[in-house]
Amino acid sequence: MSQNQTIQIGQRETTLIGKLRLRLARRTEGRAVVLLAVVLIVVSFTEPLVFTAYQVSLGRIALIGLVALGLTAVILMGELDLSVASTLAVSGVVMALIPDVRLGVVVALGVGLLIGFINGFFVAVVGINSFIATLGMLFALRGLAFILSDEAPVRIADTDAGIAFGLAIIGPLTPRVLIFILAFILLQIFVSRVKAGREFFAVGGNRQAAYDAGIPVKRRIFTGFMISGFVASLAGAINTLERTAADPRAGLTVLLASFAAAIIGGNYLKGGRGSIVGTLIGATALGVLQVAFTLSGVQVPVQEIFIGLILLLAVTTDPASLRAVVGGIRSVFQGRLKFQS
Amino acid sequence: MRRSRIGLATAGLIAVAGLTLAGCAAADETATDAADTTEEAAVTGADTYEVYALLPQGNDQAYGTTYLPPMLAKAAELGINLTITNSEYDGDKQASECEVAVAAQPDGIILWPAIADTIRPCLEAAQAAGIPVWITNADVNPEDTELTYGYSGTDSYGQGAASAEIMCEIVDGAEIGIIQINGLTGNSVATLRGNGFKETIASNCPNVTILAEQPGDWVPDKSQIAASEMLTSVGIENVQGMYAADDSMIKGGIDALKARGLDPADFFITSIGGTFLGNPLVVSGELDGTIFQSSSWDGENAVIGMYSVLSGEVTADDERVALYMPNPKVTAANASSPEVAPEW
Repeated sequence: MSQNQTIQIGQRETTLIGKLRLRLARRTEGRAVVLLAVVLIVVSFTEPLVFTAYQVSLGRIALIGLVALGLTAVILMGELDLSVASTLAVSGVVMALIPDVRLGVVVALGVGLLIGFINGFFVAVVGINSFIATLGMLFALRGLAFILSDEAPVRIADTDAGIAFGLAIIGPLTPRVLIFILAFILLQIFVSRVKAGREFFAVGGNRQAAYDAGIPVKRRIFTGFMISGFVASLAGAINTLERTAADPRAGLTVLLASFAAAIIGGNYLKGGRGSIVGTLIGATALGVLQVAFTLSGVQVPVQEIFIGLILLLAVTTDPASLRAVVGGIRSVFQGRLKFQS
Repeated sequence: MRRSRIGLATAGLIAVAGLTLAGCAAADETATDAADTTEEAAVTGADTYEVYALLPQGNDQAYGTTYLPPMLAKAAELGINLTITNSEYDGDKQASECEVAVAAQPDGIILWPAIADTIRPCLEAAQAAGIPVWITNADVNPEDTELTYGYSGTDSYGQGAASAEIMCEIVDGAEIGIIQINGLTGNSVATLRGNGFKETIASNCPNVTILAEQPGDWVPDKSQIAASEMLTSVGIENVQGMYAADDSMIKGGIDALKARGLDPADFFITSIGGTFLGNPLVVSGELDGTIFQSSSWDGENAVIGMYSVLSGEVTADDERVALYMPNPKVTAANASSPEVAPEW
């Protein structure tokens, strides 16, 4: 007759402070929150116009953040999607080529889903590394955008509708900002409340364990890439409407900015750790910083240095990286002490 | 361990705050310089103006590097505080910068469109906010001109046509085949120069056949590869000439010929720019002709044009002003002349 044994790992927290501390320790957005707070405080003194012209700041955050939200779904599984910038461009061109704006938007979103499916196929079924697979798609789709557009920007048929789309409809909120907020809410619910979304973390944390636990890993990879493709095409459709034309070269700067937002937001590139909220905070910090820099007239190379350094800080202050850094420093000093003795 | 982590995190935070402050301080230095200018202008009794210059390039490209100093100098002279942005030819980024500029409510906006087709919402927003817009370097589409006060810069189509005229002249009726290296695909200057060249060749000297064309993206290395590939695909024996939309790209094309052991002087070659790269090639005989373009004229006249609007010399009721840069042809006959001395 066997006897059930309960093994407790670690100390169980029963107090309110203890539970709160445990809850906070599980979160990955801590550094992003502190970074955002620092940026907001400094900017409030140096460029307060960032806050009075908050409609513009919100627009910039939505511009960076929308693609970053989709990317987060892929990053949580430890994968990369480099094709988002080209997906944005080709979806915009497809949309602009269709005279009916509504039909164009639907077809563009379908194109994004299809691209995501193809990426998922290469990664999950063929087994190609996501970096390589999506890098190939990045080039192929960029070429497709040029061919479809005859190598020139394509104006949408109804430019008045496009200009109207760029105007605020609820208070200071433009459709772009509202769509961004909606996308954030939906994705946050998906990864935190829906079983399929929560399984993204398991797939990213330990893929073999996820297989063993019966999680449909391949299906989850397909889902992640299709979310990323869909959101990128949504951004492409919004850009095309707001600018009244599709540019086959669009998205050149959005790829790096989106990755930066996700990383600053605390998402672990190897997967398993991170959050949609973190990406939102990262995009907000980056967006506010960029608007402040633009208002100050700081030149692009200088902006890139600052954003690059902040990105490096965000990565190196990750608890795992910190442990590695501290451990490395200790081993160096211990080695020297032993050598001297 | 815990103390080390807290220490590093604190250092990180201080670094972020320092970086943000340093970023704004860097801008403040420029602002201080501009403020000095403003004070000087105030002493002389002149008005001072806040102007945003939304550019697609800056110190990251040769042209922008020599465009900016004369622009800043002229702005200082006229009492204009310039806030300059660089969208790196990203239409979405420039549109976002335009939103920021409109929100800042400056006295005027100088705009060098990254993508002419995507700029109308920006122009409409500026007009709605009562901010006058002056276009520089590359003009907007004809249907959008009503939203701007004026334009100063090159006639890009005319530059391509002038380069074609040199080609027609030196070929002198002979039946030849050439290859064409274009600028960045989708860029309006690249498109206009390419069209100007092709259409003038077709009308003035149909004896010249364009066998192939490829983009060189304004970069010599990429142009060398593009030229080399075109020489292979059409057959080197069929090519007697080459055109590139820019001197740096023709340098790449000439290098492609040299790499095959061919003498560029045996080919009919034209370009556009009149630059530090192009003019010496004309003197050496490797390049038959180029079209001079002054980056200092471009930068200065953007500010002069804006100032004419701010000072009331040009009003919304006036007909739109267009200041076209003189683009003389540079050939072996005048390549060393001070009038076409390279600036970039």
